[in-house]
Amino acid sequence: MSGVRYEGIEKRFEAFTALHALNLDIPDRTFLALLGPSGCGKTTALRILAGLETPTAGKVIIGDRDVTRLQPRDRDVAMVFQSYALYPHMTIADNIGYPLRIRNVDAATRAKKIAEVAQALEIDPLLDRHPRQLSGGQRQRVALARAIVRDPAAFLMDEPLSNLDARLRLSMRGEIKRLCHRLGATTIYVTHDQAEALTMADLVAVMRQGELQQLAPPADVYERPANRFVALFVGNPPMNVLRAEVSEQGIHVAGATVPIDGARHQRCLASAITELGIRPEDIRLAAPGSPGALSGEVYVVEPMGNETLVDVRFGDERVTLRAAKGFTAAIGSTLGVAFDAADACFFDSSGSTKVHRARNGEAG
Amino acid sequence: MTDVVKRGTTMRRRERLQGAGMDLALPYLLLAPAVLIVLAVLVYPLWDGLRASLMFYRYGKPLDFVGLDNYIQLWTDPQFLNSLWVTVRFVFFSVALETILGLALALFCLREFYGIRILRTILIIPMVITPVVVAIVFRLIYASDAGMLTAFSEAMGGGQVQILGDPLKAFTGLVVLDVWEWTPLMFLILLAGLQSLPQEPFEAARVDGAGPWRTFVDHTLPMLRPVLAIAIVLRTIDAFGTFDQVFVLTRGGPGEATRLLPILGYEMAFKFQQTGYAAALFVTIGLIILAFALFAVRMLKRAGPDT
Repeated sequence: MSGVRYEGIEKRFEAFTALHALNLDIPDRTFLALLGPSGCGKTTALRILAGLETPTAGKVIIGDRDVTRLQPRDRDVAMVFQSYALYPHMTIADNIGYPLRIRNVDAATRAKKIAEVAQALEIDPLLDRHPRQLSGGQRQRVALARAIVRDPAAFLMDEPLSNLDARLRLSMRGEIKRLCHRLGATTIYVTHDQAEALTMADLVAVMRQGELQQLAPPADVYERPANRFVALFVGNPPMNVLRAEVSEQGIHVAGATVPIDGARHQRCLASAITELGIRPEDIRLAAPGSPGALSGEVYVVEPMGNETLVDVRFGDERVTLRAAKGFTAAIGSTLGVAFDAADACFFDSSGSTKVHRARNGEAG
Repeated sequence: MTDVVKRGTTMRRRERLQGAGMDLALPYLLLAPAVLIVLAVLVYPLWDGLRASLMFYRYGKPLDFVGLDNYIQLWTDPQFLNSLWVTVRFVFFSVALETILGLALALFCLREFYGIRILRTILIIPMVITPVVVAIVFRLIYASDAGMLTAFSEAMGGGQVQILGDPLKAFTGLVVLDVWEWTPLMFLILLAGLQSLPQEPFEAARVDGAGPWRTFVDHTLPMLRPVLAIAIVLRTIDAFGTFDQVFVLTRGGPGEATRLLPILGYEMAFKFQQTGYAAALFVTIGLIILAFALFAVRMLKRAGPDT
């Protein structure tokens, strides 16, 4: 295993720039999630690391080797493709053993390794079958088995769960995390699903239009988003973003004034704040008209079983909050909500976060 | 109002027709012209040929029913056995070379580069030229007095090049002609086959560590196998019936060196007027091709579940 580094990687397809000078340093044995909406360049970044695409500029380093100009086979990486990319004409055993056969591993060792990984992934009864006789989830496991059968410098996974149905995706999410933990492998995992990124990764790199937005542990990406885009992309339901104005009295938002502690107040005053962001779980119900409470109209109430999502409208703005299960309110009725300014973060007009939330467990 | 009346009359007419059993007869009536044409141009000649192959003819007139005598005689006829051997060799070398060249060209044309479309188009031109014209062109190339090869040889200080006068060279010349004309068909089918293969397994193979040669042997060939088999079967069946090129180029000569079965059959029927014997010969060719095709289809089916 080894660390992976992108140094100023740029990729242009004729007029379109897929990646703008990407710099990423992924320490050894780290699970990194490359997260972003489709077309943000995350798959291109992965394919450049695999050697399936050549960067227009920049360097790719695996361990301490510059592999930028090397063929995929000389890079010592293993990849799991979105479509699984199994070899249709080979049995499952031959599929899994293929990377070993290429490396001239003798048949006995090969058979032993195949049996090992097949057992670990619970596909040992399928070894004699062909890929098209398998279900999606089984193919997924075979693709994983083929990647872990040898001991590569890094695992690359390109949206490996996106072709599975919702339930299977959930269970495979946990399994892949356990697997990577057990192997202690450097893993680069591309996904557009923020839940996968948050639940599985040690580090999340959020990308947008070919540019890295934030590189941080999942908790930080969630609690301290670097900008408005990350705030809205990570979290389900996403962070609420409201227009905000700062004055000597406090924060003016949706017709109410919310008090804020001195130091953060000064920082807000100093940095031309235009919006604030607040997570749905940081908003609580309050009596309409009580001090600092925002008074709005119920837009919709969505019972989720374990909780209830409530959308409240203030003029042309809306917030979502998490209420207790069993909560009901008539659509159109008046509802008061309140939040603590210490839980909010503040954006300037360019969308970048100027003041982070005051408390998120340990970090300040 | 008029609509209602009209609908009423059509309904009544339909009922009347149904009453006469029209519903049952109509499909057959509609099919009849096509069936008659097929019967006239396909089934009747086939039947007549089969019948002729069981008769003894003299001066083009059927004299006697001889049963399977014509067929039995074929297998002791040195002319037939020679032609069969020439044909098998011709088909083998032509199809093998066409497959290898066609596959190589298809692999080459799979990549995208400047001018590739024009190149692909140029490559299929030989296939669309009439076979007789191709043969005439090749006769001009091979001609020992004024041919291109002789001109070349003389320019290099050599002498006349005799192609069509020497049995082995004439046979080789015929194979070259066939390869020139039909490699494009192989190329076209195999290119389409290659283009329809999924890309991801090839990328997976690259990451798994396979170089170009291993990728070709381990993945391209096995995945292309069904297409390859169909292309070979089609071309083999077609090559068995090669007539026009030989007729123009060598007429089967020198000696019997290029006398393929269709040429022999033609000579039997029209030169020596042995109609029954020629019919038996053609029925035999048909059976050989049929047996080959059935065998190939079974091989394909066996390969089926794996691919």
